[in-house]
Amino acid sequence: MWGYVRDIWQGAKSIVVGHIVTFRNFWRPKITDRYPHSDAGKNWRPGPGYRGGFALLKSDEEDRELRCTACMSCARACPVGCIHIEGEGKGKERHPVSFYIDMGLCVYCHQCVEACPKDALTMTDEYEISGTSRAVLVRNLEELVAAGEGRTEVSRVV
Amino acid sequence: MSETTVAGLTTEEMIVNVGPQHPSTHGVLRFVVTLDGERVNECVSHIGYLHSSLEKIAETLRYEQYITNTDRFDYLNGLGNELCYVQAVEKLLGIEPPLRTRFIRTVMAELKRISSHLVYLGCYGNDIGAVTIFLHAFRERELLMDIFEAVTGGRLLYNYLRIGGLRNDLPTGFGDQVHRFLDHFPRRLTEMTDLLTENRIFIGRTRGVGMLTAEQALSYGVTGPSLRGCGVPYDLRKLRPYAAYDQVEFDIPTFPEGDCLSRHLVRMEEMRQSLRIVRQLLDKMPDGEIQAEVPRRLRPEAGEVYERVESPRGELGCYLVSDGSDKPYRMHWRGPSFYNLQVLPEMVRGGLVADFIATLGSLDPVAPDIDR
Repeated sequence: MWGYVRDIWQGAKSIVVGHIVTFRNFWRPKITDRYPHSDAGKNWRPGPGYRGGFALLKSDEEDRELRCTACMSCARACPVGCIHIEGEGKGKERHPVSFYIDMGLCVYCHQCVEACPKDALTMTDEYEISGTSRAVLVRNLEELVAAGEGRTEVSRVV
Repeated sequence: MSETTVAGLTTEEMIVNVGPQHPSTHGVLRFVVTLDGERVNECVSHIGYLHSSLEKIAETLRYEQYITNTDRFDYLNGLGNELCYVQAVEKLLGIEPPLRTRFIRTVMAELKRISSHLVYLGCYGNDIGAVTIFLHAFRERELLMDIFEAVTGGRLLYNYLRIGGLRNDLPTGFGDQVHRFLDHFPRRLTEMTDLLTENRIFIGRTRGVGMLTAEQALSYGVTGPSLRGCGVPYDLRKLRPYAAYDQVEFDIPTFPEGDCLSRHLVRMEEMRQSLRIVRQLLDKMPDGEIQAEVPRRLRPEAGEVYERVESPRGELGCYLVSDGSDKPYRMHWRGPSFYNLQVLPEMVRGGLVADFIATLGSLDPVAPDIDR
C-alpha cells in the first residue's frame, strides 16, 4: 500500500517538475536562428581562426605580385593531396602558373597554411562552399587570387 | 528455429533486424535479434558499415599529417583522440611537451568529455522516449562548441594538437568564456537531472535493466563509465596520470548496481568532476612556451609504443610501430566502443526487446569508433 502511494507521488512529482522546467524555458532568450532566412544568420561571420575556403595573398609591396613561389610546401603537407601547383621561372622569378585546390577532397585541416614559408596561402571565413557538381568545387588560380583581394593576414587564432 | 508447444498453442522464434538504419543505433549498426515473444533470446551484432580504414591510411601519411584523421573515428571526442595519438608519437620520439601545453590539452580534453556526455544524455533520453532532454543537452553543448571554435577554428574536427605542442595558444578572452560556462552549466545540469534522472518513467525504464556484473565487464574488457557503473573504480586519469591530471584533485564516481541507471549516474557525475578539473586547471594555468623543440622531419627510431588515455567511453589505446622512416609501419587503435559492444548480447539475453535499445544506448557506442 505504501509503495503504491509512493509511486503515485513520484509519478505526479515527475510530471510537475518536467512542466516547471519547460515553463521556465518559455522566458529564456532563444539561441536558434532561421539561417539563411534571417538577417542575423546571413550576416554571421566566423572568428579569425576559422577554417573555410582558400585564398592566395598578394605581397604588401607596390608591385602587388603574388607571395606564392610555387615551392610545393603546401602540396607536400596536405594529408589528402588536394593541392596541385605548376610553377614557372627560377629563383626570385618563380611563380605559380596553375594552382588548383579540390575543395571536394579537402579535409579543412589547415596544415597547408601552416607549412607555407611565405604566408601566401590562407583559409578564409567563407563557409558556404557547397556546389552542385564536383567541377564547381575545384578552385583555380584566378578564383583563389580573387578570394584574397583585400586580405593581408593569414588565418590565425588571436 | 525451434517449435515448442505451450498449453496446446504453438510458438516459434522470430528474427528481427535492428538497423542498419535505425534511429537508436547511434550511427550505422546492425543487430540480428532472435525473439521469443517479447523476450530476447540471442543478439548478434553486424559491424563494419562505417569502416574507413584509418589504420591503413596511417601507413601512407607522415606522423604530423595523421593528426587530422584522429578526429574522425570517435567524432564526439576529437581532442581526446588527438591527445592519445600525439602522446604516443611523443613517447616514440622521446619529446616532453611544455607544462602549459599539457595544461591546455587537459582543459580541452575535459571540455570535450562534457560535450560528449551531453550528446550521450540527449541521445539516451531520445532512445527511451524522453525527447525534450535532447534539446536541453544540445543547447548547452552549443556553448562548448563556441569555445572550441574560438580556440581551434573548427567545431567538430579540430586538428589542434601538434607533436610536442599545439597549433596556437589560447585566444584572448578564453578564460572568461570558459568561466562563464563553468558558472552557468551546473545550474543547467541540475535542471537536466530534475527533468530526466529523477523522472519516474526514466527510472522505471533503466533501473534493473541491462544488468552487467563486474566479472563479466572485466572479462570482456569493458572500460569507462560502463565499468565504473559496475563498481570498479578503473580510470586511467587516476591510475596512470597523463598530461596534467597529476596536478588536479578529482574523484572517480562509481555506482555498484551495474544497470543502465548506474551507468547514466556515472556519466552525470563525471560531468561535475570535469567541471571541477577545468576550474582547477584554469586557476593554475602556467605561462610559457607551447611548443617543444621538435626535429623538422620526424623520423623516430625503430620501435613500438602503446599509449592509452581515458576517453568518455573508456580506455582509448594507440599502438604504433616505427621502422625508422617518417611514416608509421603499423598503427592500431583500441577503440572503447568496440570492446564495450561485445558484452551487449550478455546484457540483453532474457530481457525485453524494448530494453534492448535502452541497454545499447547506455553503453554509448559511437559507430565509427567501433569500425574505424
